[in-house]
Amino acid sequence: MRILHLLAVFYRTSIQTDIEYRADFFTRLVASLLGLMTTIGSLAIAFQYAGRIRGWSLGQAMVLLAVYYLMDGLIEMFIAPNMREIMNQIREGTLDFVILKPINTQFLATFRTLNIWRMANVLVGIGLCVYAIGGLSLTVGPREGALFAITLGSGCAVVYSFWLVLVTLTFWFIRMDNLEQIIWQAFETGRYPVDIYPRWLQITLTYVVPVMFIITIPAGALSGRVGPDTAAVSVVVAVVSVALSSCFWRFGLKHYTGASA
Amino acid sequence: MSAPPERRWGARYFAELYRAQIRQGVAVMLQYRFAMVIWGVWGFVGPLVSLAIWNAASSARGGTIVNAANGASFQRGDFAAYFLTFMVFGHMTMSWDAFEYGWRVRTGGLSPLLLRPVDPIHADAARNVSFKLITSAILLPVWILLAWLLQPTPPESGWSLLLATPALLLAAVMRYVWQYCLAMVAFWTTRVEAIQQLYFTVDAFLGGRVAPLALLPGWLGVLAAWSPFRGMGAFPVELALGRIPAEQIAPAFLAQVGWLVVALLAYRALWRLGLRRYSAVGA
Repeated sequence: MRILHLLAVFYRTSIQTDIEYRADFFTRLVASLLGLMTTIGSLAIAFQYAGRIRGWSLGQAMVLLAVYYLMDGLIEMFIAPNMREIMNQIREGTLDFVILKPINTQFLATFRTLNIWRMANVLVGIGLCVYAIGGLSLTVGPREGALFAITLGSGCAVVYSFWLVLVTLTFWFIRMDNLEQIIWQAFETGRYPVDIYPRWLQITLTYVVPVMFIITIPAGALSGRVGPDTAAVSVVVAVVSVALSSCFWRFGLKHYTGASA
Repeated sequence: MSAPPERRWGARYFAELYRAQIRQGVAVMLQYRFAMVIWGVWGFVGPLVSLAIWNAASSARGGTIVNAANGASFQRGDFAAYFLTFMVFGHMTMSWDAFEYGWRVRTGGLSPLLLRPVDPIHADAARNVSFKLITSAILLPVWILLAWLLQPTPPESGWSLLLATPALLLAAVMRYVWQYCLAMVAFWTTRVEAIQQLYFTVDAFLGGRVAPLALLPGWLGVLAAWSPFRGMGAFPVELALGRIPAEQIAPAFLAQVGWLVVALLAYRALWRLGLRRYSAVGA
C-alpha cells in the first residue's frame, strides 16, 4: 500500500510539472502520426505487389505496428525518463540522495517520474489498434483481451529489465547514452513482422534484443494467434529477467563510489 | 592567417577557409570515435529494413517484382544493389544541421558564430565534410562486408558509376542547402521537431528511401519525378546502377541544378529575415 501511495505521489508531481509544457504534446502527436504514415505507406506500397508477405496481410502487419506504437509510448512515458535520469545521477554522483532515502533504492530510482506527453504514441497505438482490428473484423473477446494484457505487461517487464542492466553498466563505464541509441535502432526493427528478416536476425531479435517478447507476441495475442502456453512462456521470461536484472543492479550498486568518495 | 579584405570573396579565400575548418573538424571528431561509429551505423537500419521488406515481397511473387504500369522490374539482387547503394550514398549526402539549429537559436549559441567574418554555413559545411571523411573510412569495410553478404547485382558498366559521381556531389550539396533552409525555421518557432518529421516523411517516399521510385503507385511516382527529393536521393543511385535511359539523364541533372539554385536563393532570403528576428539570450 505504501508503495502504491508513493507511486501516486510521484506521478502526480511529474504531471503537475509537465502540464506547464503543453505545446510539447501536439508536437509529439504530429510527429508520431507522420512517422506512422511513413511506415504504413511503405508497407502498403510493398503489399501492392504481394497480397501476403511471409504469411502476413497488411491488416495483421498494422496490428503489429499498433502494438509497436503502444509499447514505444509506454517505454517513453514510464521507463526511459527514469533510466536516463539514473545514468545522469551515477555520472554526477547525485545518486547519493536517492540511496539515502528510507525506501528500496531500485523502486525509487526507476519509478520516480513519468513523462505524460509521451502519451501521444500510446494514443496513436490505441487508435491504430482499434482501426486495424475493425478492418480485419477480428473478434477480441475477454480471452484475447486477457492474453494481450498479460503479454503486454510481460513485454514491459522485459524492457524494464533490459534497460536496468544497461543502466547498471554505467557504474563501470560511466557513459552509456550512445548504447541507448543502438538499442532504439534495434527496437525500430520491431515495426515490421520479425518473419521478414533473415534467420540470424530473427534469432537475435528473439534472444539478444527480445523484440519478439516485447512486440510480436503481444500483437499475436491480440489477433488471436497466441495461446495461453506462449503467454505463460512470456510471463516466465519476464519474471526471470526482472529477477536477474535486480540482482545485477544490487551488485552494481555496491560498486557505486559516489561523487567524491 | 586571415586573407586581406579585398580578397575576401575570392575562390582562394574560400579554399583556405574550408581547408582550415575541415582540418579542425577532423581533429575534433577524432576525439569522439565511438560516437562517430554509432552515428555512422545510424544509416544502416533504414535501408536494410526496406531491403528485408522487398526481399520478402519478391519471394512471395516468385522472385521478381514487376510494375505493370511502367514495366520496371526488380529481382532480389536488384533490390540489394539499390538499397546498398542508397545506404552508401545516403551516408555521403547526410546532414544534421536542422536538428542543431533549434538548440543554437534557443540557447544563444549562435551569437559567437555571428561575430565571425563569414556566414556560419561554411563552418558547418566543413564540419559535415570532416564527419564524412572520417566515418566513410570506418564504414568502408562494413559496406564491403554487406556487399559480400547481400550479393547485389553489379551495374552493367563502370561508366555509370563515373557518371553518378557528379550526381552524388550535387545531391550532397543540394540536401545540405535544403536542410539548412529547414534549419532556418528555428528562428520563427522553437518547435521544429514536427516540421522536420514532415520533411523526413515526404523525403522517405519521394526520395526513394522506402521503395525504388519506379515501384511507387502512379500519382506518387509522377510527384516524385518532379520533386527536389529525387535529386537528393534516388537519382544518383539509379544512375550508378544504370537504370536511367540515356535521354532522361540530362534533364535529371538539370533538375538537380535547378532545385539547388532554388534552395540557395531561399537560404539567402531566410537567413536575412531570420537574423532580423533573432534576439540572443541575454542581449
